[in-house]
Amino acid sequence: MSKRFLFRLMALLIIPALLLSACAGGTVEEEQEFVFGVVLVGPKNDRGWSQAHYEGGQYVEENMPGARMIVFESLNPADKPEATLEGVVDDMVADGAQLVFTTSDEFEEDTLGAAEKYPEVTFISISGDDAWAEGQDAGKAPPNLGNIMGRMPDMKAVAGCAAALATETGKLAYLGPLINFETRRLAASAYLGARYCYDEFRGMDPDDLEYTVTWIGFWFNIPGVTLDPTEVTTNFIDSGADVVLSGIDTTEAIVVSGQRADQGERVFAVPYDFVGACDEKPEICLGVPYFNWGPDYLETASAVEAGSWEQEWEWNKAAWDALDDRTKTPIGWIHGPGLTDEWKADLETFIDGMASGDVVVWKGPLNLQDGTTYLEEGEVATGQQIWYLPQLLEGMEGPSK
Amino acid sequence: MTGRAWLRRLWPLAPVLGALVITSGLLLLFGVSPFEGFGALLQGAFGTEAKVLSVAAFWVPLTLAAAGLVVAFTAGLWNIGVEGQIVMGAVASSWLALRFDAPRPILLVAEILVAMAAGALWAGVVAIFKTRGGVHEIFGGLALNNIAIIFTNYLISGPWQPPEGGTFRGTVPFPEKALFPLLGVSRLSPLSIALTLGALAAVYFILRGTYWGLKLDALGRNPKSAFLLGVSSEREMILAMMFCGALAGLGGSVRVLSWFDSLRQSISGGIGFLALLVVMLALFRVVLVPFVAFFFSAVLSGSISLQLRTQLHSSLGGILTSVMVLLVLLFGDYRQLGIFGSRGGKALADE
Amino acid sequence: MHIQLQNIHKHFGDVKANDGITLEFEPGKIYGVLGENGAGKTTLMKVLSGYHKPDHGTIVIDWTDRSFFSPADALAAGIGMIYQDPLDVPSMRTVENYVLGRSGALAVDLGKAEEELTAFASTVGFEVNPRAYIDTLSLGERQQLELIRLLSLGADLLILDEPTTGISADQKEQLFNSLQKLAGKDGKIIILVSHKLSEVQELCDEVYVLRRGRKVGGVTLPATKQSLVSLMFEELPKRTERASYIREHTIMQLQDLQLSDGRILVGPLNLELHAGEVLGLAGLEGSGQQLLLRACAGLVEAESGKIIIEERDMTRFGYHKRREEGVAYMPSGRLEEGLVEGLSLTDHFVLAEPQHGFVIQRERYQQLTEERIDEYQIVGQSTSRVEELSGGNQQRALLALLRKSARLILLEHPTRGLDVRSAEWIWQVLFQRAAEGAGIIFFSADLDEIIERSDRIAAFSGGQMSRIVTADQTTTDELGHMIGGEL
Ligand SMILES: Nc1ncnc2c1ncn2[C@@H]1O[C@H](COP(=O)(O)OP(=O)(O)OP(=O)(O)O)[C@@H](O)[C@H]1O
Ligand SMILES: [Mg+2]
Repeated sequence: MSKRFLFRLMALLIIPALLLSACAGGTVEEEQEFVFGVVLVGPKNDRGWSQAHYEGGQYVEENMPGARMIVFESLNPADKPEATLEGVVDDMVADGAQLVFTTSDEFEEDTLGAAEKYPEVTFISISGDDAWAEGQDAGKAPPNLGNIMGRMPDMKAVAGCAAALATETGKLAYLGPLINFETRRLAASAYLGARYCYDEFRGMDPDDLEYTVTWIGFWFNIPGVTLDPTEVTTNFIDSGADVVLSGIDTTEAIVVSGQRADQGERVFAVPYDFVGACDEKPEICLGVPYFNWGPDYLETASAVEAGSWEQEWEWNKAAWDALDDRTKTPIGWIHGPGLTDEWKADLETFIDGMASGDVVVWKGPLNLQDGTTYLEEGEVATGQQIWYLPQLLEGMEGPSK
Repeated sequence: MTGRAWLRRLWPLAPVLGALVITSGLLLLFGVSPFEGFGALLQGAFGTEAKVLSVAAFWVPLTLAAAGLVVAFTAGLWNIGVEGQIVMGAVASSWLALRFDAPRPILLVAEILVAMAAGALWAGVVAIFKTRGGVHEIFGGLALNNIAIIFTNYLISGPWQPPEGGTFRGTVPFPEKALFPLLGVSRLSPLSIALTLGALAAVYFILRGTYWGLKLDALGRNPKSAFLLGVSSEREMILAMMFCGALAGLGGSVRVLSWFDSLRQSISGGIGFLALLVVMLALFRVVLVPFVAFFFSAVLSGSISLQLRTQLHSSLGGILTSVMVLLVLLFGDYRQLGIFGSRGGKALADE
Repeated sequence: MHIQLQNIHKHFGDVKANDGITLEFEPGKIYGVLGENGAGKTTLMKVLSGYHKPDHGTIVIDWTDRSFFSPADALAAGIGMIYQDPLDVPSMRTVENYVLGRSGALAVDLGKAEEELTAFASTVGFEVNPRAYIDTLSLGERQQLELIRLLSLGADLLILDEPTTGISADQKEQLFNSLQKLAGKDGKIIILVSHKLSEVQELCDEVYVLRRGRKVGGVTLPATKQSLVSLMFEELPKRTERASYIREHTIMQLQDLQLSDGRILVGPLNLELHAGEVLGLAGLEGSGQQLLLRACAGLVEAESGKIIIEERDMTRFGYHKRREEGVAYMPSGRLEEGLVEGLSLTDHFVLAEPQHGFVIQRERYQQLTEERIDEYQIVGQSTSRVEELSGGNQQRALLALLRKSARLILLEHPTRGLDVRSAEWIWQVLFQRAAEGAGIIFFSADLDEIIERSDRIAAFSGGQMSRIVTADQTTTDELGHMIGGEL
């Protein structure tokens, strides 16, 4: 084995290691610092859920003097079989963290345990409902555990409205992940937004609007287990749908629609959950509903530092007048380049209506899919009714369970 | 003992040192003093009682799988499928834990046995593909790994999906009585420590003192000659794989019944592949396996703290261990160096 | 190139494999190295080729001292060796093997290498197919390939350690022709280690004789066989008269047996082997004799017909089952097929003998091994790993591993690599088995051996078996014709 060969091997070995580490930065010690931890389920640059949280943490660092974030990425058994939430929290607390955000429903159970273990540290379990006094798990959470979630159904209603404005076939399709309260709620909200706008701006009968939901079975494609989202989207378009709304973590809906558009078909897509999601195929993108954690994180961190934080289940409304202002709104909507000026104007009108409370899409009369009454004539849904929506709504096609 | 003999003794440590030097270099490059870095790593592994217990808890399945792999390697088999065997063991235990009710001791014994059987079966399939179908065990193993993972995903998102409101990436937590008794608030069970020590002893004894062990050894070194000397290659290969699979399955059982309390999407998360590295770094010797596995477990657990403290990339622990294994593979077998003047120079003659 | 070995010592533990050897080699000559099994020939050659480092002594090339750290080192200095035990057979193409070990760019131009390889081969008088996979080549072809590779890397001294065992007569002739050319025309030094005195007499210019690690003589050829033998051995091997042990009882019967290995069809064969009988099979390699032997052992399935052993139809029995029923088989491969490198002699006996329980009773087998070591005069300990044995002693170990209870003994090249005296002695052991009632079938590349040791002889040619002749009424000439196809 020659020396040269060895050298080559070593080089091969070291270079990727260097590249890997290059993505990271060093730390600066400060005097009066406020330390907070952010535990991510995926990598901090996943162009999706985890990146949005990471950017939320960065926003706090930028806007709160002395704030220092400790991040732990990819805490999931596939990437780090040796790590546990408890262990990570132990280290974060040892390093001085006074506030820890755990950013996945997967961490919900372990966060409860950690909050009990460290009563003097504040924990925010994202998307959980443990701290909701009216929720199903009410009373479970110790006083130092709160929940934050953006009121995404509102943005989904905007997405649905955009879809209704764009459709010519009157057929919309929703690419859903798996079935649970959250996903039902979002699919239904988009449906209600679509109905409203189909009626109001297009002057069509909303009962003629076809709205199909297909659940692939998981948040992303698992060959052999879930339906293949690429195939599902293709089927949507083949059966006449001309707008596909995505509810899954990955980009198949916009990618496939884009390919069909390239072949000359008239199709649009509404992706989900990451600000930059339209970039996949801007010209057919009607817009994207996204999470923006920065403002809430900042508010929480400031309250904790000031000692004024109180346990809360936050289901935060959008800053309606600033849906694309990332310093203000916890959830947002960004207009896609696919919108015509006319649609855009109608959509703005809709948004203004939602903001002022003139437009309420979750309003009776509404029936559930099995025909039972969900909301009486004129009745407006409560938070619980929306959060714990038991079935899809009448008029939506697709399974509820 | 002569100087040369000492050198030979200590040779396996050389890659460890080499890897330390390389990672120190990396740390320096990013402005972290290696002392601080490795200090954080040590702290992260052994700083508190909870951390030590966590290291030990991760050590258990890793050691079980590695001990099984020593047997497979002895027979000359690359049981890459060990990852899938861990998963299948976990699935089998979960099945009992979710669906059956019995007094705790009976339930636990049944969970352990069914996990070992499932792992063994999964490995047996790979072995039969090899002996009957001529499919190399690496390819068979990789395929079955995927199937095992797809199968868990199917269970989690299908028949075993929790009722609404639960988490989506696993089953509901198993009842208390289906779980291993734990030490305090840790994830470590005295039961799994006992099982692991038993497994190590069994492997040591099999390879040192039994006909079967010698047959596997012969098979691994030269299958043709072994066959002519009377070793039934097909049978022994299948058995060796199944033995490995049984220990891996046991590891999977430990994973769901003490590390977690439910079946998760990635129940193993590469422990099987780590175990392969452990065995290589242990020079395929079972006596070294528990120590190397402990070392791996400590470095990986410690690197969590290292990452948090330095906010460097979290793979540093992974890099450290991989560099070490690569170095072992490069220089590992000191006989290949020719400096001790025995066989093996021939291998170098081609270079 | 001119080479001197000065006072070479090489010890393995207590074994003085080389005990102060001084030799000289001059360009353009072919040297023979002779000596009984374990004399230290292979060890000395491995010292010269950089495989072993001598404990003592120097290698002088063109009047400068040299020391080598690896075979590659020695090759760079112009010394190449073809080893006695078969090289590991990688699954790669001939041309890929050829470019291995060449320094230079990472990317290789295989097309160019192919041309180079064929061109080089033809200058030496060989024909190679650069695209063939090495593991499909015969031993002789692999040897040619290795020779070409060494020459292309600039070897000026070629060492061949028992190169003619296991290659065909044609290949041997080709080899000798090119060796003569290499020495005569190109002025290279050739060193041939061999036990076949006739080959040495035919090819070599000078002969060195080793005994127990020392040089005991040097002879310039021509010299008589007798004088060479008396140099090699302290006491001359005596030729014992061969008695016949044939009994009435039939050990094995073949009925219309047909075999095939995809290349040749053998049979239909009808044959009877009696207790105490020694049946020799002659024929070129691959003519069917090995297939027959392996079919009798249960390693090859019969296409049709029956194999009846000890009055039982065992046609469908596999190898292991037949072993239990008293069939013993000795392959020709040694470390490739037969012995397990890395395991001790005792380990081999544990594997080969019937199993008792689950746990190995070490002392028992240790004792058994030591008995066999004595009985078969193996130079080595029960704890020696088989690759530490000299080639001849490996052969003895293989024979010692044949179970005592065997009734049918099947042997491939039983005396390959053995010196004359050991060969004689091994046959005495085998005759003893015959006298006890075992039937023996063997084949060998050496017609003299076949005629001398068999009771009856059959020749194979292209899968057809000849008439069976009685050994004491045939001649090499007649056998030669039979092998050639005059069945
Ligand atoms: N690696 C080794 N370890 C221990 N002993 C060895 C080793 N190699 C050779 N020997 C011993 O050295 C002695 C000489 O062996 P060598 O192989 O040189 O003999 P040889 O002359 O080539 O015999 P043969 O004709 O049988 O091949 C033998 O007794 C052998 O057992
Ligand atoms: Mg030799």
